[in-house]
Amino acid sequence: MTDASAEPIIRIRNAWKFFGELTALNDVSLEVMPGEKVVICGPSGSGKSTLLRSINRLETVDKGTIIVDGQDVNSPDNDINKIRQELGMVFQSFNLFPHKTVLQNLTMAPMRLRKTPRAEAESRALELLKKVGISDKANVFPAMLSGGQQQRVAIARALAMSPKIMLFDEPTSALDPEMIGEVLDVMVTLAREGMTMVCVTHEMGFAREVADRIIFMDHGQVLEENAPQEFFSAPKHPRLQKFLNQIL
Amino acid sequence: MTTEPQNVRIVITDGAIIPDPKERRIITAWSISFVGALAALVYLCTSRPEPYWRLLQFLPDGIAVTFKVTVLSILCSIPIGLVTGLGRLSRNRLINLVASTYVEVVRGIPLLVQLFYIYYALGRFLKVPDLLAAIIALSVCYGAYMGEVFRAGIDSIPKGQTEAARSLGFNRAETMFMVILPQAWRTILPPVGNEFIAMLKDTSLVSIIAVADILRRGREFASESFLYFETYTMVALIYLLITLFLSKGVSIMESRLNYYDRR
Repeated sequence: MTDASAEPIIRIRNAWKFFGELTALNDVSLEVMPGEKVVICGPSGSGKSTLLRSINRLETVDKGTIIVDGQDVNSPDNDINKIRQELGMVFQSFNLFPHKTVLQNLTMAPMRLRKTPRAEAESRALELLKKVGISDKANVFPAMLSGGQQQRVAIARALAMSPKIMLFDEPTSALDPEMIGEVLDVMVTLAREGMTMVCVTHEMGFAREVADRIIFMDHGQVLEENAPQEFFSAPKHPRLQKFLNQIL
Repeated sequence: MTTEPQNVRIVITDGAIIPDPKERRIITAWSISFVGALAALVYLCTSRPEPYWRLLQFLPDGIAVTFKVTVLSILCSIPIGLVTGLGRLSRNRLINLVASTYVEVVRGIPLLVQLFYIYYALGRFLKVPDLLAAIIALSVCYGAYMGEVFRAGIDSIPKGQTEAARSLGFNRAETMFMVILPQAWRTILPPVGNEFIAMLKDTSLVSIIAVADILRRGREFASESFLYFETYTMVALIYLLITLFLSKGVSIMESRLNYYDRR
């Protein structure tokens, strides 16, 4: 799945982040190879979302470097807006643009940022909507959709920019249980197509199925990092053992 | 957790009470005032055409001036307000301080004093025509209030919207103009309408610097005829009817703005 000779597409080195007294990231290092699927899990407040959000600089780390596709995201020499175009992001709370139709949500960024002609952007958008299973809702406003549908649109919106990497920040945590499956299905399909993915999630079934590597964090530190098989069958760190006992 | 922007209603009470668009009852404060004012107007003009009917023919010139001053001042205060509101939200300390100081200073000086200042005090150095002085004073004053309306409106949009736009690669300006302001607009518009009404009433102050608005026309009429009671009754009724019309208009506009979150 990963090419051993390739360079990591994401390289986080000794990242520190403080929120006042709280240390959200405590000397975290992480590398992600192209095509790799990494799941980050851990209790709430463990710093997993902060880590994910520092990759596209929604949070700025206080110390350490974050290199995405060869570019330091915190360097003033690099255009963060260009870097972000290669990093699709999906949020817990969907964050669709409520004043735009579903189709416009998907075409807005490619038309403006990639100068894609409208017709092309729309046909690509319709393709993506078909892929996430809601092509019949192209012309409605997001408020007309269920949570699961909104999240699938949000995934399609991120994909519309044809990013190299997809970041998922607890994409199913705000969903009713019966809608979680439909969103995970889309994510599994995406993983099978070879997308590089970093997912913060509590969905251990998903992690087991698609992850190449699972990272366990607590108190801003990476406590364990392993392939899913070992991660679940032979957890080494006592904190992870306790965590797995509670959620499985 | 909800992704929809909360439907924030910014209430500023110096304009008019805007009727609730969802109100289905017929007898409301608005309808009582409106029917009462209209009935009084019709009754006075028919039962005592002299002087009321004559007044009704004398005052409309002033109504046109009042509207002219109001509309021009609002149009000038909106860009001032937008710049001020964005300035108040700016992370640049200097811009933030300039905008905040402007709001602080303007809000601390009565409009009438600002008007005198521009017309009489600054008039010593630069003679400003009375109409222009009125528009400048009102725009500067209301620009500060409008700034607060814009700031609150922009602030009411959830942070997730900015994050979603920025993570797609939009820069700050694109995020503001393509994502935040189009949504903030519906939170901003009703209070802007309310400011319009407040401003329309405040334009009565400009009658003091010889702008021939409704009140000024009334004073002219009264000083010739000595019919103070009749004149100011009529002036008050006209202001009230205009204000009531406008507050209903704002209310209708407000209900139309919520098109995209109807299920």
